[in-house]
Amino acid sequence: MSVIIELDSSGSRVRGVAGERAAPVPPKPANEGHGDVRKKIVPLVKLPAGPSATHWEGGAYLSLPQWLEGAEEGGAILLQPSDDVRELRGRIGNAALIAVDFPRIGDGRGYSHAFLLRQRLGYGGPLRALGAVTADQVFALARVGFDSFALRADQSAESALAALGTFSVPYQDAPVSGADADRAQADFDAKVRLLERTLMRIAERQGRPALASSLSAEDMVVTDAIARLGLPIDVFTLDTGRLHQETVAQIAATEQRYGLKIKVYRPDARAVAAYVAAHGADGFYESVPQRKLCCEIRKVEPLSRALAGRDAWITGQRREQAMTRGQLEEAERDEARDMAKYNPLAAWSWADVLAYAERFDVPMSALYARGYLSIGCEPCTKVVRPGEDPRAGRWWWEQEDSKECGLHTNVIAR
Amino acid sequence: MYRYDAVDRLIVEERVAQFRDQTARYLAGLIDEDAFKPLRLQNGLYIQRYAPMLRIAIPYGALSSAQLRKLATIARRYDRGYAHFTTRQNIQFNWVKVEEVPDILAELAGVSMHAIQTSGSCVRNVTTDVFAGVAADEIVDPRPYCEIMRQWSTLHPEFAHLPRKFKVAFNGAHEDRAATGVHDLAFDLYKDEAGEVRLIVKVGGGQGRTPRIASVIKRDLHWSELLTYSEAVLRTYNQLGRRDHIFKSRIKIQVETLGAEEFGRLVDEEWGHLRGGPNTLTQEALDRVRRHFADPALDAPVNPAATLPVAANFQAWKRRNVSPHRDESYAAVTISLKREGIAPGDATADEMDFLANLADRYSFGELRVSHQQNLVLPHVARAQLPALFADLDGRGLARANIKMASDIICCPGGDFCSLANAKSIPLSAAIADRLAPIEEELGPIAINVSGCINACAHHHVGHIGVLGVEKGGEDWYQVLLGGRSDAGGRLGVLLGKAVRQEEAPVLIERLARHFLSVRVAGESFIAAVERLGAGAFKQALEATEAVAA
Repeated sequence: MSVIIELDSSGSRVRGVAGERAAPVPPKPANEGHGDVRKKIVPLVKLPAGPSATHWEGGAYLSLPQWLEGAEEGGAILLQPSDDVRELRGRIGNAALIAVDFPRIGDGRGYSHAFLLRQRLGYGGPLRALGAVTADQVFALARVGFDSFALRADQSAESALAALGTFSVPYQDAPVSGADADRAQADFDAKVRLLERTLMRIAERQGRPALASSLSAEDMVVTDAIARLGLPIDVFTLDTGRLHQETVAQIAATEQRYGLKIKVYRPDARAVAAYVAAHGADGFYESVPQRKLCCEIRKVEPLSRALAGRDAWITGQRREQAMTRGQLEEAERDEARDMAKYNPLAAWSWADVLAYAERFDVPMSALYARGYLSIGCEPCTKVVRPGEDPRAGRWWWEQEDSKECGLHTNVIAR
Repeated sequence: MYRYDAVDRLIVEERVAQFRDQTARYLAGLIDEDAFKPLRLQNGLYIQRYAPMLRIAIPYGALSSAQLRKLATIARRYDRGYAHFTTRQNIQFNWVKVEEVPDILAELAGVSMHAIQTSGSCVRNVTTDVFAGVAADEIVDPRPYCEIMRQWSTLHPEFAHLPRKFKVAFNGAHEDRAATGVHDLAFDLYKDEAGEVRLIVKVGGGQGRTPRIASVIKRDLHWSELLTYSEAVLRTYNQLGRRDHIFKSRIKIQVETLGAEEFGRLVDEEWGHLRGGPNTLTQEALDRVRRHFADPALDAPVNPAATLPVAANFQAWKRRNVSPHRDESYAAVTISLKREGIAPGDATADEMDFLANLADRYSFGELRVSHQQNLVLPHVARAQLPALFADLDGRGLARANIKMASDIICCPGGDFCSLANAKSIPLSAAIADRLAPIEEELGPIAINVSGCINACAHHHVGHIGVLGVEKGGEDWYQVLLGGRSDAGGRLGVLLGKAVRQEEAPVLIERLARHFLSVRVAGESFIAAVERLGAGAFKQALEATEAVAA
């Protein structure tokens, strides 16, 4: 038995087919990579005695000369590396299958055969690679147009299927040579994939990671990716007691949409009462220290509780949000809390956030429709005018370089 | 410098993940040696004489200070505290462990570097002029074209299993500093009468066992057809190049056998189908990549006041190691990695950190790696030259020998490489010692020492080339004369039979002294060889041998 993987519009399927010459490859000891391995180069390449297969599911394969002599309806052609595929121009007829023989891994002529069959001769039928076809070749084989892979006898279908997803965006064609819009599209696709990879890595490496969500668009993007991938990453939010009602509503909407629980942390009621008694409920307008004290009570202290016992937290911060975030790293060490901190959207633009929300139909806070660009406490956030810095709507009575609440200490230290 | 966007980052990250999985399966015995070989080679990993060697690409030789610091970190953490700069704008680590290579590649990915296709039968790291974008004699900045070629040829699904390796070079200056004549595919960039960038396309150059100078097959390719034409060349080679004998499988054999004209005709036939197709470069694509190579803010004063007392040996260093910059208040400074007692091209981790700091202080954080195995600071304000010299001199990095007899290009040879027939590093040191007393008198001379026929040190195009051969288990050397890597390239002529290790430096000194006796005023070594012919030197050599006998 050898294994054949077939791709079609609905995905891939694997089936066993009686192999003709499925001789197992003798196992060789793995080289440890050390020691003298000097050896004479043997310049002559041993050519195979015959084709790697004689039959397909529907009967015997025809060689190219046999096919050209008299094309049979429903037959299958097996091309050898030295064949000139161009001879099939106008002669493919009703071939049920074209197979390309790879007698050795290193013989890459079959890749050009596939390119020519697909792009030049317009062949749209099944195209199979057989012979020395390993899991590690199938990605490239698929990219040049193969949609069927008769794996070498020692190869596992599982590895081959996994390998089909090796690369998410191609380097050739439009992303390299095309217009800016083509590159921008590929760049956005790559950003989404990088976000997914980062989140999967965090889930794999960290014991108790969590996303600190303010229900902002950025945090909704990260929440969506976590939920879409079903990752074991908790989501929590800080209800400062002064949130917009839209934000509070967004908590429930998010839980409902994604079927997850957002844990809500609230400030210590006695500390809030003491602050109100000393400075008044809106004392934060009076000075930066009074504003920061309010942030401390309503956000920073609850955050500490939310992060207690965790080894990593995730934020939706972006570099272009504010001058204080211009040097933001995607992965950093939160020294103060002694844990890892990830900002997977650091390189994202606002346009990227909106594009993501559109592609995955992410529910957005109603505040955006009202002109808010940064989501925070109701008294300390306002609508941003077009062209203004997105963080211009936060603590607008303060200097640009103080506009952090204290959650993101590394940023401030820098 | 080119800055990765998400596309570049993702491809490199996914490549690391792919190789991590492949390495794990290999170490678990799930991939056999033969199947793993092309996978590891296309990730830069060789199995060498004593340990695996990892070759990392420095695309077209451009390196940032952050990248150089990362290389230093890798040298310390995964190797023995040093690395080797090669003759193809790569860097090699000679003592890595197979199981740690995926971790090294992940660290590299973090600074936008990789080892993709630095080996194997595929399109290799693209190389160019070390002074690209800087040189006073530059016509077209080749870097955007190099980067476009890098992206297009990286993980190209159709061309990963070519008959043999495939090396591409670009040159955009009057002087060819990229050795284009000895590349599988090379492009000379120029501007036509309308100011449009066009390319002269050359194929089939190479060294090794069958050295050959590349043939021109196209003289006026429009820049927008760079990729479509390259695709036609590669497909023609992939389909028709010989695969039955590895000594005959480079494209140069195909071009030689068919003739350049016929090969060009086959390429044109294929190109006819591709021309104007999806790989045609748009103006936006070129501009998009070109923006990455915008100049730093070159705002140094033209005639600055002297700031430092000038050291005695400063002038010699300035004469040898400082090259003109397009902007006359700047200069490009070459830092020689050819030092007494140290293998050519080697640098320690501490030196790499030190040079990264100098790049930040003097050259906008940018460095270059030359195919002569030296490093370059491309944008140094002329006013800063004395200070830079003082810093370099303090670390023993101010040797004033660029293009001189001790600036020998040398491969790792029998000390490291499993392919080598003879050692090259000790011989290079012996030649430099022997010529030291007459080095100044000799003036510019290119000496290249390879440890085997693969010609990693480009001995075929050295003014004096040396090739290591093995005879009865001993190291012997053949000497070649009159090659050059510039001016379209010329191959050296073999001077008789191989000689013993101790005889080779003596023979080379005789050549050098003969030159001194016949040179006309101001004449360089290679000019004298070309004026008189290599044969005249050979006869002179035989005459002195007869006298000695």
